[in-house]
Amino acid sequence: MYALQVKDLTKVYSSRIRAVDSISFNVESGEIFGLLGPNGAGKTTTIKMISTISRPTSGSILVFGVDAEKHPDKVRELIGYIPQSVSVDGDLTGYENLLIFSKLSYVSKKERDARIIFALEYMGLKERANELVKHYSGGMMRRLEIAQALVNRPKLLILDEPTIGLDPASKTKMWDYLKKMNREFGTTILLTTHDMAEADLLCHRIAIMNAGKIAAIGSPQELKMSVGVEMIKLCLDSSAIEKLVIPDELGKIIGYENSSVIISVENAEKKIPSIVEYLLKRGIKIESISFNKPTLNDVFLKYARVAFEEGESYSQARMTRRVFARRSR
Amino acid sequence: MIRIVKFLSSSLTIAEMEARKIRHDSTELWTRAVQPALWLLLFGEVFNRIKGITSSNISYITFIAPGVLAQSVLFVSIFYGITIVWERDVGLLTKLLSTPSPRSSIVVGKALAAGVRGIFQAIMIFGLTLIIGINLRLDPFDVISVFVVIVLFAMCFSSLSMTLASLLKTRERMMGIGQAITMPLFFASNAIYPLDLMPEWLRTISLFNPLSYVVDAMRSLLITGDYSGIPLDAVALVLSTLIFVSLASIMIRRLIE
Ligand SMILES: Nc1ncnc2c1ncn2[C@@H]1O[C@H](COP(=O)(O)OP(=O)(O)O)[C@@H](O)[C@H]1O
Ligand SMILES: [Mg+2]
Repeated sequence: MYALQVKDLTKVYSSRIRAVDSISFNVESGEIFGLLGPNGAGKTTTIKMISTISRPTSGSILVFGVDAEKHPDKVRELIGYIPQSVSVDGDLTGYENLLIFSKLSYVSKKERDARIIFALEYMGLKERANELVKHYSGGMMRRLEIAQALVNRPKLLILDEPTIGLDPASKTKMWDYLKKMNREFGTTILLTTHDMAEADLLCHRIAIMNAGKIAAIGSPQELKMSVGVEMIKLCLDSSAIEKLVIPDELGKIIGYENSSVIISVENAEKKIPSIVEYLLKRGIKIESISFNKPTLNDVFLKYARVAFEEGESYSQARMTRRVFARRSR
Repeated sequence: MIRIVKFLSSSLTIAEMEARKIRHDSTELWTRAVQPALWLLLFGEVFNRIKGITSSNISYITFIAPGVLAQSVLFVSIFYGITIVWERDVGLLTKLLSTPSPRSSIVVGKALAAGVRGIFQAIMIFGLTLIIGINLRLDPFDVISVFVVIVLFAMCFSSLSMTLASLLKTRERMMGIGQAITMPLFFASNAIYPLDLMPEWLRTISLFNPLSYVVDAMRSLLITGDYSGIPLDAVALVLSTLIFVSLASIMIRRLIE
């Protein structure tokens, strides 16, 4: 069953910007799916249409088979949407944020209280539950947003740049929470990101987006393999190089360079120990080892034909900072 | 749950949200009470010395008390759109509108929330009139009826404000438009002088001003006890509230697109 089917989706803003240009993709139920692209790629526009917040110019969106154009209210019952800027209410307490939004999502009174207590505990917010959210840190606010999803239990959770503005530790924590939620509750997750590492570590599959179009779709592993192979470079004693043979299950020799041999392998980190062991057993001395594997950046370069701009655009950085500044006042 | 129950439950939840915020931080309520206090204590006291503004035997300061009350609720409501723009800016409105609650229930809830603030204004001003010895008819029926009028009135103008916010989209423009319309609305009404003192053209304009009906209803309830004009006031108020609430419900999605 597909959690999401997007077909020929297009959004043209009044100023004739084709923010999203006839994209199609499917998300399987239970998947963590990422839209990866630089700023201005059209990621936010895409998920706003999926969340029924903005209307597509053309194309269709089915959420668990429900047409978003015809039944936006039914779709909103299936999804949870976490926008890019922090969307919890700073003038309410953490507990109240959960309570109000569970009421607006019609979580039955019977289940509400137990779920709120569980979510607060699960996200490590129990001690601060009765404090005003404007005194929370940015990471805590994000955690509260995930807690809202835990209370409302959407089948499809949609997050826009979930870790933007977070410090590395909170970032890793957030990834863990999302993975856990996906595993334990079977929540399908759709997220956008301009962070390659995030896409790589968190998502089962990603769609690479650039200038309103999807350039490639696949698992991070598949995409990286499609760009090139992983290579290990071994610097050896020159006498050993010529007669060196490597069994197929370890890799394939694809070239020589000065006093080095280059071997193509499938999973460099895993294969290096075996190769070292193999060589040592045969009394071959290794001078140095280096390896090279394609990154999502290479994938992006190949498919989108432009370099991926790292970092945030000025306006986005300012927006995020402004929100956090206000919230933490 | 059937639709109407869901609708009402969502609207009340939004109003509850506002009430909880007021409970956490009531400074705004107090600062908003300053202006009506000035109107009553300075303007009212001074003009009280001029006889003949009001035809009957009620003092001028008593006469304008309902007008001042209406004005302060008007201020709360007409600037309510600014709150909505702010909530849009921080992503809160988008979040509200992506819940399964119908969009119109969110708008009605926000309008009710403005009503909640209006009621607090009324309580403050009633307290003030007691302190300075203005003699209002504060028996339960009249007070509750005034609260109903205030809630409708606040809903009406906060919806107008939300409609404007959907069109203007920034806080600065909302500040500007708010200031541009409150004073004309106030002066083209019977809030601080009776209709008979107005020139003919102004009296005609005031007939289309919802504020006139609100002030008339409050004056009947709080001062004269003559309820004969109230049915007309009620019809005018309910009608304009319905119009503006519907308009705001249709327009609000423009704010988040
Ligand atoms: N409301 C809007 N009106 C006009 N243009 C917009 C609007 N929102 C976004 N855009 C434009 O659409 C393009 C895609 O934006 P967006 O979806 O926000 O990209 P991303 O989320 O990938 O950074 C950008 O060129 C942006 O300037
Ligand atoms: Mg974006």
